[in-house]
Amino acid sequence: MSTPTRDRTTTRDRSRPSRPRRRLAVAAVSVVAALGLAACGSGSGGSAAADGGGAGGATSGGGTPVHGGRLKLAFWNDLQACIDPNQVYWIESRSLDRNIADSLTDQDPKTGKIVPWLASSWTVNADATEYTFKLRQGVTFSDGTKLDAAAVKTAYDGTRALGPRSTLGVTYLAGYKQTTVVDPSTVKVEFSTPNAAFLQATSTTTLAILSPATYRETPEARCAGKIVGSGLFTLDSYSAAKSAKLTRRTGYAWPSSLVANRSEAYLDGIDVSYIAEDSVRVGSLTNGTIDIAWPRQPISSADQDVIKRSGGVIETRALPGISTNLYPNATAGHPLSDVAVRHAVYKALDLPSYTKTIFWDGYPVAKSPLTSTTPYVADETAKLTHDPAGAAKLLDGAGWTLGSDGYRHKGGAKLTLVYLANAASPGDQLIQDQLKKVGIDYQIKVVTAAQLTPTATAGNYDLVPGYLTRADPSVLGSLLNAAGSTGYTAKYSQDAATAAKVSELFGRGLSTVDPTARAGVYKELQDYLIDNGLVFPIADRLQVIGLTKKVHGFAWTSESFLRANDLWLAK
Amino acid sequence: MPRYLAGRFAQALAVLWAAYTVAFVILHILPSDPITLQLSASGADINTLTPAQIHTLKARYGLDDPIVSQYLHHLWDALHGKLGMSLTQNVSVGSLIGDKLPATLLLTAVALPITLVLGFGTALLATYVQWRPARVLLARLPTVGVSLPQFFVGLLLIQVFAFSLSWLPATGHQSGTGIILPAVTMALPGSAMLAQLLTRSLSDTWSEPYITTARAKGLTRAAVQLRHALRNASLPALTLLGVVVGYTVTNSVVVEAVFSRSGIGALTQQAVLGQDVPLVQAIVLVASVLFVGVNLIVDLLYSLLDPRVATAARLA
Repeated sequence: MSTPTRDRTTTRDRSRPSRPRRRLAVAAVSVVAALGLAACGSGSGGSAAADGGGAGGATSGGGTPVHGGRLKLAFWNDLQACIDPNQVYWIESRSLDRNIADSLTDQDPKTGKIVPWLASSWTVNADATEYTFKLRQGVTFSDGTKLDAAAVKTAYDGTRALGPRSTLGVTYLAGYKQTTVVDPSTVKVEFSTPNAAFLQATSTTTLAILSPATYRETPEARCAGKIVGSGLFTLDSYSAAKSAKLTRRTGYAWPSSLVANRSEAYLDGIDVSYIAEDSVRVGSLTNGTIDIAWPRQPISSADQDVIKRSGGVIETRALPGISTNLYPNATAGHPLSDVAVRHAVYKALDLPSYTKTIFWDGYPVAKSPLTSTTPYVADETAKLTHDPAGAAKLLDGAGWTLGSDGYRHKGGAKLTLVYLANAASPGDQLIQDQLKKVGIDYQIKVVTAAQLTPTATAGNYDLVPGYLTRADPSVLGSLLNAAGSTGYTAKYSQDAATAAKVSELFGRGLSTVDPTARAGVYKELQDYLIDNGLVFPIADRLQVIGLTKKVHGFAWTSESFLRANDLWLAK
Repeated sequence: MPRYLAGRFAQALAVLWAAYTVAFVILHILPSDPITLQLSASGADINTLTPAQIHTLKARYGLDDPIVSQYLHHLWDALHGKLGMSLTQNVSVGSLIGDKLPATLLLTAVALPITLVLGFGTALLATYVQWRPARVLLARLPTVGVSLPQFFVGLLLIQVFAFSLSWLPATGHQSGTGIILPAVTMALPGSAMLAQLLTRSLSDTWSEPYITTARAKGLTRAAVQLRHALRNASLPALTLLGVVVGYTVTNSVVVEAVFSRSGIGALTQQAVLGQDVPLVQAIVLVASVLFVGVNLIVDLLYSLLDPRVATAARLA
C-alpha cells in the first residue's frame, strides 16, 4: 500500500540538523500510515491518529504550555473580503475559520486519513451515495444552541442553497440530494450521483457546521462576519482587509482527535492584521510587533535568513490541492491544439531550475498537477524532464521551423503563446526565457483582476494559470472536468473525445470508495492529463510562515491552515 | 459679495456634476459587464448561471435598462445620498465609504500641520539665512522632497524609525502613534511643493519697494520677513494648500498601502482593480467633493484676505 501523502516536505527549519523529536514524528507517521488507510471509509479509527497528530503537530513544542496572551497574526491581503467558511475560498480566511467553526470530521495531515470530530463515527455505502453520521454529544455553538442532527441538516442545506456563491461548496456537494434527520444524534446525507470525495469534504471549513441562527442571516451579512460556530474561538469582529479579532471560547471541550490539547485554547485570543508589503511584514515579525507572518507567496530565502537571525522560526508545508499549473487553450486556431506542441512545451520547461531560481535550492519541484501533500498524488517526474533537443525535434516534426529571428514559424505565422494573467512575476519571465530557447515566443499579457475572467472566458489566450487548495485529488475536477465545471480551463483544454475520457476518470474517482482502488484511478487520471498535455505543472505550492521564538505548539491542518488549539505564547 | 458667492457655488456644483458624469461614461464603456465581474469576485463563473438567473441579477442591479435611464437613475440616487451596492464586497457603497473615510481624513488632518510647519519653515529659513551655502542648500531641498517617491520615503521611514530605532509602530490603527509615520510620508511632497512656492514668492517680495521702505525705517530682517513679506507671499501658498488637501484620496493610495492602513486609498486600489463600478463612481464623487469643497473654501478665504479678488469679480 502506498502512503498517499508525502508530508516529509514539512520541515521546521532547513538549516538545522534533524532532531530526535522530528525523527520520532517521522516514525509515528509511518506507524500511523501502516495502520491507516484501510479504516478510511469506516470511520472507526482515530485514537491511533491522535498520537501521530499530537507528536508531529506540536512542532515548536518544548516546555509546559502557558495560558494567556493574544497572538498577533499578519496575513498579506484579504481580496475576497469574506469570512463565512461556507462561502469563502480565500485561504487566509479559511485558516481563521478553522479556529472558529468545527466540522463533522477532521483530516490527518500526516496520512490524509479522515478522523472523528463533531461526528463520532460514520458509515458510507458501497457506491458513495449515502453517508450516515453519528454525532458527538455535548457540543454547543457559541450562541448556546446545541449541535444536533437538525443543525447539521440546516448547515448542509444552507451551504447548498448558496449555489455559486460557495465556489468550493458547489464541487464538495456535487450530486447533493438531501440531508435527513434520522434521530437527534444521527444524520444521513444522500447524493444522486456518487461522491466519494464527500467524506474529505466534511472535514473542510467549507462544510463547517454553523449555528442554525447563522443561516437566517443573508449571505452578505454572513460574509461580513455574522457567523456563529462551535469552534475554540469566537469571532468578535471582522473588518475586511483591515482586522479580525478572535476570543477564546470558554468551555470548549470537543477538539478533533488530532489535537493534543483536549480543552480550551491556551491563547486568550488572536488579533489579525493585513500587511501587504513583504518588507514591512518581515520587519514587524523580527521586531516583535507580530507573532506570526503568514504571506501567500513563499517567504524569500533572504527574508527567511533575516527571520532566523532574529531568533524566529520558519514553518513550511505544501498546500494540498492543485499545483501552480498552466492550462492550455487547445481549440482550433491556437498553436497548442497540436498535441506535439503541447509535449514540446513539457520538454522546453526546466522545472528544477525554475524552483531553484524563483524560490530556493531545496524547494520541492512540481511532480504532478497535484501538490506533494495531496492524497493520491502520483510522481510524473519522468514525463516532465527538461529536454530542449527533444522539444526542437517535436516542433520540427509539427512543421514549426526555426527562423532567422530565433523563433519558429509555420505558414508565415510565428509560434506565439499568449499567457494571460492578472500579474506578471519573475517566474513568468523565466518561463518566457525557457520557451524562447526552443523558439517559442511566450507573450505575457497582464490584465486587471476584473478583466481576467471575461478575457479568459472568451478564449483569448494560449495558457492561463490556476491553483486551488483542497486535500483531495478530486479538486482537479474544479479546473479540468468539463462535466463538473463550466470554467474556461476545462472548456478550452480538451476536445470532445478527450473531455469525455477525462470526465469518465473523474467520475470513477468519485464513485470509488476503497483507498487502494482510488489511488489507482487517480494515478491513471494524472497519467492521462500529462500524456495528453492537458495541464502543465510549474511549481509545488509551499505555505511558508515565520514565527517569533515566543510561539509554541504550532500545527498545520491537512489543508495547511492554522490549527491554534495547541498554540501558546511564552511570557 | 453674495453674487460672487453664488457664482462660485454654482461653479462648484457644475464641476461635481461633470466629474460624476465623466466617471460614469468611462466606467460604462470599459469592456466587461458588472455581472461577470461580480460573479468572478465571488469566485463563480457567469457560465454557471442560466439566462434566467442572469436576467434576475441584471434586473436587481438595474442593468437591463437603457444606459441613459441608468445614468439618470444613478444620478438621482446619488443626489439622495444612495450610492448603491458594491459589486465585489457584499455591502453598500455608502457604508464602505463611511467606514473608510474617517481614517483617511484623520491622516490628512494630522498631515496638514506637518505640511505647513515643514513648508513654511523651510521657505522662511531659505530666504532669511544669509550664509550663501546654507541658502542654496535650503532652496534646493524642496526639489529633492518633490522628487522622492512616496513609497520609498514610507519604507525608509519604517526601516529607520520603526525597525531600527523602534520609536514608532510601522503599522496599525490601535495606537495613536501609529499615525505619525504615514502622516509625515503624506506631508512630505506637499510641504516640498509649498516650500518651493513660498521660497520663490518670498524672494520676489524681498525685492519689492515697500520692503526697502520697511528696512529703511529700521526694522530688522526678521520683523520684515514675518510682518511684511510673509503676508503677501502666502496668498499663492493658500491656493497650493487647497490643491494638496484636495488630493487627499490620491495621496492616500500609496501611503495606506505601505503602512497597511485601511482607508479610502486602499479602498480605491481595491475598487479599481476589481472594477467595482458603483464603488469607483462613489470614490470619484467623494474625491471631487473634497477637492471642490476645499478649493471653494480657499477661494472664499482669498476674497476675505484680499478684498481685491471679490471686487475684481464684481467688475468683470
